[in-house]
Amino acid sequence: MTPRVGVFDYGAGNLHSLVKAIEVSGASTQVFTDCRETLSSDALVLPGVGSFATAADALAGAGDEVREALEEGLPCLGICLGMQILFEESDEGGGPGIGFLPGRVERLRGEIVPHMGWNDVDTGDDPLFAGTPDLIAYYANSYVCRPGDEDSVTAWSEYQGDRFAAAVRRGRCWGTQFHPEKSSRPGLRIIANFLKEAAR
Amino acid sequence: MLRPRIVVCLDVRDGRVVKGTRFVNLRDVGDPVELAGRYEADGADEVVFLDITASHEGRATLLDTVRRTAETLFIPLTVGGGVGTVDDVGALLRAGADKVSVNSALARQPELAAEAAARYGSQCLVASVDGAREGDGWRVYTHGGRLPSDLDAVEWAAECARRGAGEILLTSIDRDGSRIGYDLELTRRVASRVSVPVVASGGGGSAEDVLEVLTSGGASAALLAGILHDGVTTVTNIKSVLTARGMSMRASNGAERSSQR
Repeated sequence: MTPRVGVFDYGAGNLHSLVKAIEVSGASTQVFTDCRETLSSDALVLPGVGSFATAADALAGAGDEVREALEEGLPCLGICLGMQILFEESDEGGGPGIGFLPGRVERLRGEIVPHMGWNDVDTGDDPLFAGTPDLIAYYANSYVCRPGDEDSVTAWSEYQGDRFAAAVRRGRCWGTQFHPEKSSRPGLRIIANFLKEAAR
Repeated sequence: MLRPRIVVCLDVRDGRVVKGTRFVNLRDVGDPVELAGRYEADGADEVVFLDITASHEGRATLLDTVRRTAETLFIPLTVGGGVGTVDDVGALLRAGADKVSVNSALARQPELAAEAAARYGSQCLVASVDGAREGDGWRVYTHGGRLPSDLDAVEWAAECARRGAGEILLTSIDRDGSRIGYDLELTRRVASRVSVPVVASGGGGSAEDVLEVLTSGGASAALLAGILHDGVTTVTNIKSVLTARGMSMRASNGAERSSQR
């Protein structure tokens, strides 16, 4: 059966490429503006556009319900801001995040911010990165996650001396600070890997 | 490490890619969706659509073009041209642009930068600054390079960044279309003045030009158009020259993917 992926729309930007990237990997998508409705999907994707405040507002108090669903094993992929919102809070302002991962979101310490462009990703052996050796992925971020538990970090990147979590995982929930849907062929592979893991 | 970028710019009018000099003698060179995909396969790090449609109805066509492109393009897409309001920014982002570049409207209404950045994040707002040399400085021109403003290009770029733009798309009007190299001094001045990435545009005619602007020019990215559209060279070729000269470029990986489709 084709898995149904619920994409949470914060109302702040481009979901087109992401939705297509999921669909070319063989899943169907449904976009929801009410995050509660995404929770009945087979997997949840938190996209990466907007500001932390936009996303926190869009959660509209559903953060606890999302966290519980993730605790119960709902597969989830958070991209960029969608990864950040999995944490507790952000220097960017706005309400609390989902709080599924301990830690906070802080401004990058580089001289030139946003961190914009293709950067090397030092990946471990998480199945999310199967078939993506020497990964170079596309980033567009001013903030990064500082996980309270470094064991959750599955990949690292470095920018102007600041080493930060490129990807995290807890249980069946993954987050990438880069944009797989904008990272050409290897990025699409990562999305396909997520869907494969989600179907297990 | 962060890789220097090669950005390919396509002029789009009424849903077609056109080519010409300074908005005149335009001729149709193809379908934007197909050309953007071809440049992804060639190793372009980003694609820019500059919409030069004059008519109001053209906006709907542009949104449709962006939508269709975003469905098959899996590298970042920036769209600019005729963006007048925060809602215009939102409409383009929703249609599938990853970044939106704003030019004349910012000069008219600088607070637009902060509004757009607050709503969508700085990383998707590009300030497009067109400058022409005048005396010791560079004067900002708006409306596709036609109207002189009272702004100094270096100061204006800095103000755009301060107000929330996450990237500066800096075009030298003097060099635009010349293929004699980027305006290194302008690029250097702006890059050293702002703390956001600078995309240098105007004058790129060879791999050597790209190398210079990415090194001594201080640019994070180099924009190319004519030499690629005319088939003088390819992104792959330019990247292999730069790699041989010690630059860490992202290798192209699209060819394999397009054959899978």
